[in-house]
Amino acid sequence: MRDVILSLLAKEPAHGYELRQRLMAALGPAGAALNPGQVYVTLSRLERAGLVEAKEVAQPNHPDKKVYELTASGRERVGQWLADVTWSKVAPVEFHLKLVAAAAAHLADSVALVDAQRLELLRELRQLQELAQAEPPDSDGSLLLEGASLRLQADIHWLEACERRWVERETR
Amino acid sequence: MNQVIEARGLVRRYPAEGSPIRAVDGVDLTVEAGETVSVMGPSGCGKSTLLHLLGGLERPDAGELYLGGQRVDGLSETQWAVLRRGSVGFVFQAFHLVDELTAVENVELPVLLLGGSRRDARRRAMELLERLGVAERAGHLPDRLSGGERQRVAVARALINQPLVVLADEPTGNLDSRATGEILRLFAELREARQALLIVTHDARVASTAHRLLTMRDGAIVAQTRLGAGTSAAAVLASLADLGGEG
Amino acid sequence: MRSLRLAGRLAARNLRRRPGQALLLLLTLTIATGVLGVAMSLYGSADQPWNRVWRATDGFHVSFNVYHPPDEPGDRALVERLRRRASQLTRAPEVVGVGGPWTHLYGRIQIAGGDEDLTAELRDPGPYQVDQPLVTAGQWLGQGDGVVLESGLAATLDAAPGDTVTLQGRPFPVRGVAMTVSRGRFPLSRPAQVWVTPQTGRRLRQLGMTPEGFELQVRLADPADAAAFADAHRSLEVSEGSSSLIAFLETWQHRRAESHSDIDILAGTLFAVGTLIAILTIATAAVLIAGRMAAQIRQVGTLKAVGVTPRQVVLVLLVEHLAIAAAATAIGLGIGRLLAPRIAATSVTLLGTPEPPPLTWTRVAIVAAVAFAVVLLGTVRPALRGIRQSTLRSLVSGARPPRRPGRLARLVANLGVPLPGVLGLRSAWRRPGRLLTNAAGLTLGVAMIVVALALRDSLELLAHTPPEPGHAASDAAVTVLYDQIRAIILGTAGLLLLLGTINAVIVATFAARDAARNHAVLRALGATPRQTVTALIVSQLGACAIAVVAGIPLGLGLWSLMDGGDLPPVRLPAALLLLAVAVPVAFAGIVGVPARLLARQPVAPLLAYE
Repeated sequence: MRDVILSLLAKEPAHGYELRQRLMAALGPAGAALNPGQVYVTLSRLERAGLVEAKEVAQPNHPDKKVYELTASGRERVGQWLADVTWSKVAPVEFHLKLVAAAAAHLADSVALVDAQRLELLRELRQLQELAQAEPPDSDGSLLLEGASLRLQADIHWLEACERRWVERETR
Repeated sequence: MNQVIEARGLVRRYPAEGSPIRAVDGVDLTVEAGETVSVMGPSGCGKSTLLHLLGGLERPDAGELYLGGQRVDGLSETQWAVLRRGSVGFVFQAFHLVDELTAVENVELPVLLLGGSRRDARRRAMELLERLGVAERAGHLPDRLSGGERQRVAVARALINQPLVVLADEPTGNLDSRATGEILRLFAELREARQALLIVTHDARVASTAHRLLTMRDGAIVAQTRLGAGTSAAAVLASLADLGGEG
Repeated sequence: MRSLRLAGRLAARNLRRRPGQALLLLLTLTIATGVLGVAMSLYGSADQPWNRVWRATDGFHVSFNVYHPPDEPGDRALVERLRRRASQLTRAPEVVGVGGPWTHLYGRIQIAGGDEDLTAELRDPGPYQVDQPLVTAGQWLGQGDGVVLESGLAATLDAAPGDTVTLQGRPFPVRGVAMTVSRGRFPLSRPAQVWVTPQTGRRLRQLGMTPEGFELQVRLADPADAAAFADAHRSLEVSEGSSSLIAFLETWQHRRAESHSDIDILAGTLFAVGTLIAILTIATAAVLIAGRMAAQIRQVGTLKAVGVTPRQVVLVLLVEHLAIAAAATAIGLGIGRLLAPRIAATSVTLLGTPEPPPLTWTRVAIVAAVAFAVVLLGTVRPALRGIRQSTLRSLVSGARPPRRPGRLARLVANLGVPLPGVLGLRSAWRRPGRLLTNAAGLTLGVAMIVVALALRDSLELLAHTPPEPGHAASDAAVTVLYDQIRAIILGTAGLLLLLGTINAVIVATFAARDAARNHAVLRALGATPRQTVTALIVSQLGACAIAVVAGIPLGLGLWSLMDGGDLPPVRLPAALLLLAVAVPVAFAGIVGVPARLLARQPVAPLLAYE
């Protein structure tokens, strides 16, 4: 979250509300699920870390607003973040371990686990598709939805591979 | 209960070295009016053969099959052909448009086969092509159309006689991502219009649009589930918006 | 080089697995080479029997012949001069034997109630250094008025020693029958010939026969010198004054070549017919070769991986097809050697049992050249396409991209033609080239039938016209010859029809295969098998329609060329109408077979692949 907020300030200084707007625009429908408080919490942490500085701006008829701006180290940090190519979680490690543990301890039928998970993913996929259909095709939000949809498809493919492997093991 | 398709104990065998292979091994299934059913399974599980059996493109070696309440598993080739004209629409992975006919001529074919007049056929075909968004390509030969356009023409052809059921065999198999999206939208519309639809597919996106999902393995149906809106939108969105551990 | 061998191994393996197309090609080629082979073995098959009689009779090497019309003033003196000059011949150093000069009398003999021209050769009883006729019945000339008949004459009269013949209206006893090579055999060689003693000759002159010339024959030390000897003495051939006097030198080889006109005509006809069939075979061969090549090159993807190029595949296939052509040549020549004696035996000019001449390299080369030419010409187009194509797709589909349906097609569709017909016509329209080549073959077949029909009618007319005076029997013989030629033409028409049928079946099979996917789609949409079969038949009928429409006028044209512009008899239009109906019906029936067979195939597999 911290790097994301920093990068959103790179264009121009903004106050918390604006930042939240920008974020929600980028996330599309997912933006609605965003925790409103998280943005402000992150901003104060960034201020403490010296990556942003806050300025009070006087407003007519309104209480003073806090406007946040990137510091030099903050800008540097954004540059580093942009150049960083680490990818977040590649493999569904947790589920994989779930299957192994269940089989080893005979806690549950592995194939049934896989089937159940697959069905759930299919339901989520359907949900995503419905959301995608409601979005205008060129929006940032639709791109995010496509990314999620493709990942789900990849996961479903992997689950099918899991099913094949575990079925083989059972029939042996 | 208004059942468009009912199958009991369908079996289809193929000769092979040693004992014959059972491509479809005792399948029971039903498709209700207005329902979308998808059949998923690994390649070689027999789902395409099942679809062929349901549409009369192959004959079962055993079992009963009813189409719109009529018993059809014993029909001759000619009787099946006549039945298919008004009752079954096909959508294939390879599109299978007649390459010597233009798009609109392809769509007209089922009407002409049913004995409709040329004018009536042309009018209905153009209407459908309009609805599916390919009307400007009506006069083109199939080799001038993109994959997505061809499949839309094929869907128009399948729908034109308002069949009891549309059977689709891997309809997005030869399509790129965008064309797949177009077809998905089409199928969603068909679902809204309460057209009975059976889709054989290994594409999860396509399968997820169905009301009911059948899983096939080794010629038999091993699972059947309703795919209603399970997880709420909120939960999905929440996971989307999860921007990582660090607050 | 290794890749070439690999391509060869693949071709051989394909050949073993699916020999059908190769065998069909062999069959169609053999039809052509068979006919040519018969022609090759027929031509000159009378030579050996002739040679035997020539040797047995001490036949001439060079002959000096003088013919003059009777009773022209000045001629008798000329003839005497020629006789004296002819005796110079006998003094030439190469001459080892002399026969004659023998006088020829001209008159009439009665055959089957009619008169026939006759030559009587005056011979003292002999023996002779040259041309001792071979007596086959009775005895040679001797006491009395007995005449010796030439064997062909005797056969025509069905006369044996002891019978009588009527010369100049008077009966003369038959003393014997003999064969000679100095004359061609009656009735194809005119006039008829008898040998008589000088006394009988005097009596015949009293009865009105006139002297018409003489013949002097010599034998040389080496028969091969005959031509040189004749050339050396060409001066004898100069005729002075009277233009109706003929004096010429003839070698034995020339006389032999002229003696069997019926066999020559038959052989020539068969050769022409065989070449015609060969030309038509090119179209069939092209279709078969293209099919084979497409099947091979479909594997080019795997072949490329081991370094084999489409060019090499084409090369290997060409070699394979040339091998088939060689086999067809051998089989055709074999057929020729078997059949030719049987055909030759019907000849009236034979002097014994016919023997097929030894197969010289020239004769083998001619037949082989035709077979190879057919294969090469049939390979050109598919080979060029195969080498030029770098992508697999167009080869696999085998067809150019479909054309926009033209106005004509739309017109036909709007005419209310039922759907299967429209689809059939559309797919025929796609490949005009193939349509025309099929049509060409069928057209020629139809034309030949028309010619055969016209010939039969004309021969019947001929049979009813009274013969010219003096040519009764020989005209009958000529009619027999025409009959044989007509049989050959009918046979050819039959062969062409056979070829046309094979072609139609092949083309229909390929067309059905090409259309298989489209027809599977149609059946999935609800077209019955019968509808798809109809569509296929209709698509092939185009070629048939062209054949009937073009073939009948072509046949009539060919006939008028042969007949010299005479109008065909009135009966023909009825037969033509029958032909115009029968051919398409038969064609539809034949084409329906592969169509129906392929319609029985299950639909699903065709729809499974791209």
